[in-house]
Amino acid sequence: MTRKPPEAFLPLKSNWLHILLSLAGAEQHGYGIMQDVLERSDGKVRLWPATLYGSLKRLIQEGLIVESGDRPAPEFDDARRRYYKLTPLGQRVLDLEGQRLKDLVRALHAKRRQEARS
Amino acid sequence: MNRVNRCGRIYRRLARAFPHEFRTICGDGLEQLGEDLMPVVWRDQGVAGITRLLADLAMRLPLEYFSTWAGRLKELTMTSDLFEGTWRANIDKSQWDPLHTPEQARITLEATATGYLMVAYGIKDGQAVAERPSPIIVDGRRRPIVDLNGRPIAGVPPGAMAFGSRPDPQTIEGGAEVDGKTLGKRTLRVSEDGKTLTVTVEGTGIKGPFKTVAVFDRVEPDPYVPFG
Repeated sequence: MTRKPPEAFLPLKSNWLHILLSLAGAEQHGYGIMQDVLERSDGKVRLWPATLYGSLKRLIQEGLIVESGDRPAPEFDDARRRYYKLTPLGQRVLDLEGQRLKDLVRALHAKRRQEARS
Repeated sequence: MNRVNRCGRIYRRLARAFPHEFRTICGDGLEQLGEDLMPVVWRDQGVAGITRLLADLAMRLPLEYFSTWAGRLKELTMTSDLFEGTWRANIDKSQWDPLHTPEQARITLEATATGYLMVAYGIKDGQAVAERPSPIIVDGRRRPIVDLNGRPIAGVPPGAMAFGSRPDPQTIEGGAEVDGKTLGKRTLRVSEDGKTLTVTVEGTGIKGPFKTVAVFDRVEPDPYVPFG
């Protein structure tokens, strides 16, 4: 058995995409990820705790994220929290999924333009 | 508020009922998140929100047990652990760092509940040398680097953390870092036929950067397994 290539994760499950997006560029803890997803989706997507941690567990097992050892300054931090960050594989998967979605949107626009012309 | 407290107790009980493997990876994050969320959900969504919160937990619980049992079943049906055993260095095929070149080297890997216990020993400059037994825990978490009794290790910088993961069944990755800066990385990869183990170690030591790619052949039968 060989290591799963990034393409094998596509299309990404919706929850995984939301989590990876929250971790892009910044480490986050569980509550932070939940809040970030809620805000980004205008309150439409709420990752409930068991769903969120179930997904985090799978993402760790698949090597897309890891628990981070870095912690913010103590005055900005809650010592109980665990922070997570993207791995290079997670970053690659997120980039590929972004490209896939971009291509889909482009195809959709092209189709709309074609319909408008005819 | 009494109702929220009662629901909080139910939530905690459910969260603590999750399988050991889940709790090893996620810690008590699930419990804490519920505690943080309960008053907010009660304020914003009332009974419906609390019901949804508990239902999420109750529905996930059997799924996690199923996933754990499926993993165990897979392990049981495997002929043997890929990494476990004794491995002898193939000096000719290996590319040792000039400062860390042994005449002979062996490692033994013993499976534990959380990963492996590794013992490395060999002959260098005509003398027998052995490394301290080190646990390899492959759950993606950071842990302080201490000896098997939980005591600090001489020469290890304060605050140093070890991490390990198993991106696929044939690969173990790990390393050490201090203050977010990586000190060294190690990859162990078993070949398709399970007979060769390639260990790549790179990092920065007291004498500067180093890199070693050591190739090991499986020792069969394993001298440390009676009747193996």
